[in-house]
This record gives sequence, C-alpha cells and structure tokens, in this order.
Amino acid sequence: MNARIGFVIAALMLSGPAWAAAKGQLQIPEFAALAEKANESVTVTLDANLLGMAARFLSNEDPEQAKAKKLVSSLTGIYVRNYSFDSDYAYPKADIEGVRRQLNAPGWSRIVGVVSKKEHSNVEVFILADGNKAQGLAIIASEPREFTIVNIVGNIDLEQLHDLEGNFGVPDLDIETPQKPAAKPPAAAKPSAAETTK
Amino acid sequence: MNENPTNHFEEELRRRLRPVEAPEGFTDRLMAALPAQQKPVVVPFTPRVARPFSAARQFGMPAALAASLMVAVLLGVQVSKDRAHDEEVARVEEQKGIAASRELMQALRVTSQKLDLAYEAVNSPPAAGDEENRS
Repeated sequence: MNARIGFVIAALMLSGPAWAAAKGQLQIPEFAALAEKANESVTVTLDANLLGMAARFLSNEDPEQAKAKKLVSSLTGIYVRNYSFDSDYAYPKADIEGVRRQLNAPGWSRIVGVVSKKEHSNVEVFILADGNKAQGLAIIASEPREFTIVNIVGNIDLEQLHDLEGNFGVPDLDIETPQKPAAKPPAAAKPSAAETTK
Repeated sequence: MNENPTNHFEEELRRRLRPVEAPEGFTDRLMAALPAQQKPVVVPFTPRVARPFSAARQFGMPAALAASLMVAVLLGVQVSKDRAHDEEVARVEEQKGIAASRELMQALRVTSQKLDLAYEAVNSPPAAGDEENRS
C-alpha cells in the first residue's frame, strides 16, 4: 500500500510540469522591478476564467470585439509583458533568455525570426503545434528601449490566426496552414522558419 | 261577534298552563323509588399550585409575537443584506469583466503590433549595407 502511494507521489512529481501549467503556457516572470523602471508597461495575465469573463463583456456589434470574442473562445490563456524605457537596454536580457530557453522544448517551432542589426531589434514568433492545431503562440520582441513577451495558450486555429491578422492592424503574415501548403505563394515567412537578419 | 284571535290564544294558553293536581299516590310512589339514603356526590378538589413561570405564561403570547416580529425583522434585514451582497458581487464581477475585456483588447493590440513588426521586417527589402540571411 505504501509502495503504491509512493509510486503515485513519484509519478505526480515526475509529471509536475504537465499539470502545473497548461500545455503551451510559458513561465513568464512578473518583472515587478522592471514595471517601476519602465515609463510605460503593459502586463496582461488572463487565464481561462478571466478570458471567459472578458468575452462576456465584448460586444458583438463592434467588429473588432466580435473577432476577438470568436478568437478567445478556444483560448485558455493570454499573457503579455510589454515594457518601454527611457534609456537603452534598461532591462535584463537574462530574463528574456530564460523565457526563450523554454521555447527550446519539444513541440515549439520558431516560425519567424527577425534580427535587425540596424535597429538593434529582434522579433521571434514561436508556435507549439499539435497536428493541425497550434496549442500555443509565443512572441519575443526586444528593442533597445522596449521588450515584449506574448504567450497565447489554447487551441489556436491557424485560420483564426489569419483572421486576427489584419483585424488589429496586422497584415497577413503569410503563415501557411498544414492543410493548405500551396494556398499562398512561397513568400518570406514559412511555417518552419523565416529568419531575416538586417 | 267579533272574536279577537289574540284573546283566544291567551285563553288557550291559560287553560293549558293551569296547575294540575298530581295523581293520587304519586308522591308516595316517587319517594319509594328513591334510594333509602342518598350518598353525597364527592367532587375532588385539587388546589391550583402556583407555577414558577406563571409570568412567562402570562406574557408568553406577547413574547412569542415579539419574537416572531423580531425574527421577521431580522430575516428582512438578512434578505436585504444578501441582496445587497449579491448586487455588490455582480457589480464587482462586472467591473472585473470590463477590466478583463480591456486587458484582452490591449493584449491583442500588443500582439498585433509585434506581429506587424515581424511582418514588416520579413517583407521589407534589406537596407543597403545590411547583411541578409533568410532560411
């Protein structure tokens, strides 16, 4: 009996990350100290409950809110950290690296990577794919005076991602869905990776 | 002759109610039928004992009414408090929901801005002198 309990405890401990965080959810630091240093900060932590609550207050009349409502219906979390500073590199790069390391885990693929040497900016877009569905989306964007981490968790239909693009001021990123490999001409960005160094 | 029906009725009443002599030997028969010695009827008497809570009994009904009134008032107050609490919870939930929807829209805008940045960087031609490496 004791052995069985011990086995269950050991199994729970080994599967810790699986039940501690939803699939596709990154462990993003709170950056509380940075929020004080930043001249502008956006910290959004919306779990499934809050997303459901938020969706109830989105208007169906407003096209932008209606799209957002449809988009979040299948999501289980949205986490955003965005900080702007008055001086260059006022943020610790180690924290960003800590988040980036989590994206080396199996399943995550970098679909866009942009490094601009001229503007010293770096934008990377990652997707945690599971078959035809994306279980998570992560964006890490760093500029000398600003850095952003976005983590969207849930069943992200790539078609819906297309739907998002262009509705919030974002043009089509030309992300192809696995079902329609020839739907778009082979432009700069590919599902596997699109990397640009400027 | 004008006979008054009222007089006739009175005469008839008098005739019927006139004293009638008891039949002969009635008294003797009646006395013979009675028991020789009549036993007195004994009625048990239990003196009322003064109860210690007589005052409570005396004021029981008003007290019960007062208690009922108080319970009704307290229930009313409680129901009112519950309703106020429910309204407060609903108001807080609404505020949370509105704040969450604002945060959601803000999060989506930030996401869009960064995706836009990636799009522009991927699709704009490389500046002269910049290295270019696409894979």
